[in-house]
Amino acid sequence: MALSATVLAELRGIVGPSHVHDAAGDLVAYARDATPLFSHRPDAVVFPADTAEVAAVLALATRHRVPVVPRGAGSNLCAATVPLRGGIVLVLTRLNAILEVSGDELLARTQPGATSAALADAAAAQGLLWAPDPGSRTVATVGGTIATCAGGLRGLKYGVTRNYVLGLEAVLPTGEVIRTGGRLWKDVAGYDLTRLLTGSEGTLAVITEATVALLPAPASANTGVAYFPTLADAGEAVARVIRAGVVPATLEFLDRACIDAVEDFAHLGLRTDAGALLLFGDDGPPDLVAAHLDRIGAACVEAGAVEVTTAREVAQAEALLAARRCALPALSRRGGVTILEDATVPRPRIAEMVDRIDAIAARHDVAIATFGHAGDGNLHPTCVLDSAEDHDAVRRAEAAFADVFAAAIDLGGTITGEHGVGAAKLPFLAARLGEDQLALLRRIKSAFDPAGILNPGKLGS
Amino acid sequence: MTGDVFDPEQLSRCISCGFCLPACPTYAMTGDEASSPRGRITLMRALQDGTLPPDDGTLAEESSFCLGCRACEPVCPAGVEYGSLLEQWRVHQWRGWRRPLVARALMLLVEQRWLLRLSGLVRRAARGRAVTPAPPPSAPAASALSAPASGAAPAPAAAPGSAAAGGAGAQLMLGCVERGLYPAVSRAARALAPELAVPTAQGCCGALHAHNGDLAGGERLAERLGADLPGTIVTTSGGCAAHLASVLGRDRVRELSTWLADRPAGAELRVGGRRARVTLQDSCHLRNGLGVFAEPRMLLRQVADYVELPSAAACCGAAGTYSLLRPKDSRRILDAKLDEIEAAGVDLVVAVNPGCLRQLRTGLRRRRSAVRAVHLAELLARVESP
Repeated sequence: MALSATVLAELRGIVGPSHVHDAAGDLVAYARDATPLFSHRPDAVVFPADTAEVAAVLALATRHRVPVVPRGAGSNLCAATVPLRGGIVLVLTRLNAILEVSGDELLARTQPGATSAALADAAAAQGLLWAPDPGSRTVATVGGTIATCAGGLRGLKYGVTRNYVLGLEAVLPTGEVIRTGGRLWKDVAGYDLTRLLTGSEGTLAVITEATVALLPAPASANTGVAYFPTLADAGEAVARVIRAGVVPATLEFLDRACIDAVEDFAHLGLRTDAGALLLFGDDGPPDLVAAHLDRIGAACVEAGAVEVTTAREVAQAEALLAARRCALPALSRRGGVTILEDATVPRPRIAEMVDRIDAIAARHDVAIATFGHAGDGNLHPTCVLDSAEDHDAVRRAEAAFADVFAAAIDLGGTITGEHGVGAAKLPFLAARLGEDQLALLRRIKSAFDPAGILNPGKLGS
Repeated sequence: MTGDVFDPEQLSRCISCGFCLPACPTYAMTGDEASSPRGRITLMRALQDGTLPPDDGTLAEESSFCLGCRACEPVCPAGVEYGSLLEQWRVHQWRGWRRPLVARALMLLVEQRWLLRLSGLVRRAARGRAVTPAPPPSAPAASALSAPASGAAPAPAAAPGSAAAGGAGAQLMLGCVERGLYPAVSRAARALAPELAVPTAQGCCGALHAHNGDLAGGERLAERLGADLPGTIVTTSGGCAAHLASVLGRDRVRELSTWLADRPAGAELRVGGRRARVTLQDSCHLRNGLGVFAEPRMLLRQVADYVELPSAAACCGAAGTYSLLRPKDSRRILDAKLDEIEAAGVDLVVAVNPGCLRQLRTGLRRRRSAVRAVHLAELLARVESP
């Protein structure tokens, strides 16, 4: 459905002619995000400069029944920003100012287009910590991080994004601007719309400003690596670490294929002869960090680690974490298409889940490598295929992942721990939530978005 | 119908993760996916599979808007060779008359060997118009740096290990831009490494061609230069080094700083009675294409106080012929860089590529800045023989 000349003219009137793109090439560039196998061209790409322009575009879209997909940097892995029904992609990268960092109130106010890393840097400059730490932090926008309720490497100790969102300014599809929450930790007036919008994936409103909680930056941080003969040994180590009463900031595992891929890219000197590795880290007062790392190391040795080392300097620790953040793209060096998924199980069931994934992969005859956040049960089984053109292989991979999600739910887990539902997980949502809850989601959606223009084909559809 | 523009294996390597976005200078300017490396690869795919017609306007604009700085390559976990894809793209995009006129004229010029030789003779005129820096008022040591620039072009090879003999030794490449604009750079390099032979019978390496849509011409010229200069080729140009290495192999090509890296340091460089403060502007292709960035810094640290700029690795906007083809965009990129250089309180900004040198000198002169831009070889030669 191409947009009418009237709609295009009105859009140009709102944001200025140079901020509406509708040439074929521009539309191609916005047909996809970081999710493989999903692609659909919008009819226009619009770059608003402020809240008022966002409001005017949304009111126009509701009036003309034009779909709108809000988008940050498009680094999400669940096809949340693919314009499945065409319409407008509303790009928020021009709203990228960090408006305020307050050390007294431990908070920041930012526009949605600033990157998560830029916010973290601005906070760090004042001795503060922006805790959410998605692997794509240098790319991902704060708006997208909130919209998908992203997690990351510090999830075990610090949780996911929703724990840090104090208030939002958002534009409803009908054009009204609302402000939810605010600058307070304690504020229980009304339904918690801040939390409702956090993780709503651009289906209820467009976030135009966020007030987020910061923490005092920990005095120090360090990281270590333990190598194990098998992934099961690493799983046992995780259980022992938690039983030892330590909740580290980071507890990540990589299987052999992931170690190989990361080493190939980052050249860190990782041991590629091991079956698995655990990357562990903590932050806080230096002596406490050292003590925690010692106890984690000891637990790893008890679980059969063949080697345990800690990073000697900060640069090395950063390099290790950076390598882990890029495990997914690095894996893609193994083949033409990389499908990374995101399932979470209760911590004690990680080893069982990994076994099930292996069996599922064998049954469907696909290669699935697994890495993830061992500390919080969040796994990223990743399938590497030679080519997207091999339709049979793609079908087998999709069937395998359907089984993986079913296995996660069966073990008391969920279909996504941090990436979001998007279009990619929507078919599995009913299995997780049940029909009654899905129906409620749809009623909430229509209360916010009576015309159904915001990100159709996603949550609430 | 257009399915043979790109090497399909290279094109399929991108998984659209977007890790390249923050490294891209044009994405930083626009925030527009289409002007990011990931977006451009999406466009390339559409060209390859026929989804977009070859004459699509966005294809033309984006293939030209890209600086070709390759900053996206070192940060790409999937190992996409973007620079190579861009060259293939421009072969298609800038076929025949569609190649920018300025690029065509330059390519034709540098292919004329007699002209390269002649350019050494008329270089004064060229320098006088374009690049002579005004001596800074309060920097006596720095003004002394300009002294070598007033000499003659490098003498013909009367050097040991003559190149014509079949290439036992290493030879200094003169470079077509340097011959015309900065002969002092080659002379300084020769003073620093007297063991290098300097045959005058050498042409252009072809980087200009490869970056402007004539990949075959770029390869042909590089091979011809390789035949002219058998053995190890030492160059004072990061861009030439990366292009030559891609055609002749890495073992044949050395950028000057890696050639000099093991030598003892010269005397310290002083400005106004104190140790000089210097910073480096990386050459994009040297850093992102060949991974060379530690050596020039190490050499500078030995003789001066080294200040690292936050954007040292980011393109200065020269980008080969970019500053000529897209002067406005080039200027926008340069301006931010110059603000940073001036705020850093340095005496000198050092380049390792003639294009960057020209860009920085022109920009600093326009601002009447007290900061001077010099080539690494000039700075070190000045230090070696005060």
